[in-house]
Amino acid sequence: MNEYIEKINTLARDMGEVKIMEVCGGHTNTIMRYGIRDILPANIKLISGPGCPVCVTSQYDIDCAIELALGGVKLATYGDMIHVPGTKTSLLDARARGADVKVIYSADQIVGEKDRVFFAVGFETTTPMTATMLKNNIPVFCAHKLIPPAMKILVGEMNIQGFIDPGHVSTIIGSDIWGELNIPVPQVISGFKPEALVRATCILLELIKNKEVKVVNDYPEVVFGKGNLLAKKLIEETMKPVDAEWRGMGVIPGSGLAPRNELLDARIIYKDLFKNIVSREYPGCRCGEIVRGMVEPRECPFFGTVCTPENPQGACMVSESEGACAIAYKYGKSLAE
Amino acid sequence: MDDKKECLTGNCPTPIEADVGSIRLSEGSGGREMQELISQIRSKLGAESDWKNTQDDAASIDFAGKKLVFTSDSYVVTPIFFPGGNIGKIAFCGTVNDLAVMGARPLGLSLSFVLEEGFSKKDFFSIVETIGELSKKHGVPIVTGDTKVVEHGSVDKIIINTSGVGSAEIILDEPLEVGDQIIVSGGIGEHGTALLARRFELETLIETDSKPLWDEINSVRGLIRQAKDVTRGGLAAILNEIAEKNGKQFLINEEKIPIEHEVRALTEVLGIELYNLACEGRFVCIASHKNSDEVVQKLKQFNKHACVVGEVLDGKNVIVQTRFGKKVLNMPHGNIVPRIC
Repeated sequence: MNEYIEKINTLARDMGEVKIMEVCGGHTNTIMRYGIRDILPANIKLISGPGCPVCVTSQYDIDCAIELALGGVKLATYGDMIHVPGTKTSLLDARARGADVKVIYSADQIVGEKDRVFFAVGFETTTPMTATMLKNNIPVFCAHKLIPPAMKILVGEMNIQGFIDPGHVSTIIGSDIWGELNIPVPQVISGFKPEALVRATCILLELIKNKEVKVVNDYPEVVFGKGNLLAKKLIEETMKPVDAEWRGMGVIPGSGLAPRNELLDARIIYKDLFKNIVSREYPGCRCGEIVRGMVEPRECPFFGTVCTPENPQGACMVSESEGACAIAYKYGKSLAE
Repeated sequence: MDDKKECLTGNCPTPIEADVGSIRLSEGSGGREMQELISQIRSKLGAESDWKNTQDDAASIDFAGKKLVFTSDSYVVTPIFFPGGNIGKIAFCGTVNDLAVMGARPLGLSLSFVLEEGFSKKDFFSIVETIGELSKKHGVPIVTGDTKVVEHGSVDKIIINTSGVGSAEIILDEPLEVGDQIIVSGGIGEHGTALLARRFELETLIETDSKPLWDEINSVRGLIRQAKDVTRGGLAAILNEIAEKNGKQFLINEEKIPIEHEVRALTEVLGIELYNLACEGRFVCIASHKNSDEVVQKLKQFNKHACVVGEVLDGKNVIVQTRFGKKVLNMPHGNIVPRIC
């Protein structure tokens, strides 16, 4: 491991400021947990990207899910989603008031419940599960996001010089697709061990220095060129690409998914419940800038004061394993504090 | 406002009316919100008494030249049967251990059930038998109890409450000193892993670590300053609680913490912090540098993974030395939630 750290130090010596984005929230978690930013030279910046499903879900979509639950529709979703504050309340509060919101981890927990709507979030990693639900005729409120279209936008506006590509997403979509994106900076697909992320940083610095724009698959034990063909086929059969609204990034063309079968699309089935929703984020909340890597969690005035994991005001403070603010709260306390 | 509830497609069910001032799940999950709820409860009870250690795992009172120690706990767990045990085992061990960590020999327990109409009698008696076997094996009799049955849907199968009384010569509550050694009694997180594995239908050889700790603590209680069993909030909660209570800093060497390979693998698969994983049969104790070797040797007779994991320093916070750098280990909060992606 020390050889990679030494090599990073050597490479960094004659480089200016280098911005590398780790797209995936799981990577952010490892980086913060092991203090990897602290051991990198000061001019090498690791910036957290939008790879947290909870964080990028738009306020409107959260409000729609809450409206469904309060409207008496049975809902199922992932554990972290129930804590996300909507404009007026959260699914957790809705549940405390009597709404039927079931936390699930796997599709088979609600297979057979055809009157329960699955509030689907997540990137390519979780879409096969949603596809399974659609195959089983479970209606879905689909807020899935696709990572590659977002990266195309970020590389330009954030002046990113290299990407650490998400490992789990790549297991589904494969490594080839990253090259087909034609983004003008090098990318390394990385695993989740701290050593893997240090190595990915080292490989990226070398590529940046040599002005080599290519994709290195440094997670070949689970990521293959074409990805998971079975999962991709299942997704293709049940869902179609649509434009999607991201928190902080607005509508990105072709970056979302919707059920092909409109009879299973909760956005259509319950559209009347949504017609008066006026969504608004917590005034002053900087989650939108945080998911784009524009500011650090600690630059938000609410971080750790009015916005804490127990009482999150913004979406980035919710997920302890993927949300930039919750991770920074958990692992980012300075030793002097 | 009302017209937004009007449904044109005929698909929208009747809305649920708002009800404010409800208890929220997070108020029971061991974090800051639960502390606030408890302090509100305390403020409404508020009577002064001769009881001591009322903020600890068990309260104590001087009685007939000894210390009488008393504790109570209610147990709900999903699933109720898991690899290596069931809810009955943790209901017995949890209360015995709350007495044991105070340095008290458990004298007897109460055992009360709230049962859901329709709950399997076979499962129920299997739980009762588990408690009976443990009671006989460890010489801690069940001396009183209560049983209630409620309508189907009113509780989830079974709730168990156990209370326990113990006696101690000295309460294990000696002040800590800089240089004291922090010792864990065995591999961390096995109970939490067994539960999660069952909940997510993952196959594992890991079983719950749940067991009564009195024999272990009894073997070292003359050599240690304090002990605390690792329970729901995992190592993170327990280390923070002891450090804060004593106004000291703990420096933990992460590489020394005993963790089974499968426990680590599962936390990585699910994206769960291993310091937050529950144990039901492990404790942390603190001994002087001089005594620490002897304590570890004695504890190794019960669990070969017992070892020193850190040191007491001046200051505050629990600091973890990882293989890359030092990090502050925070108090956990909320429920354990696997990552989405």
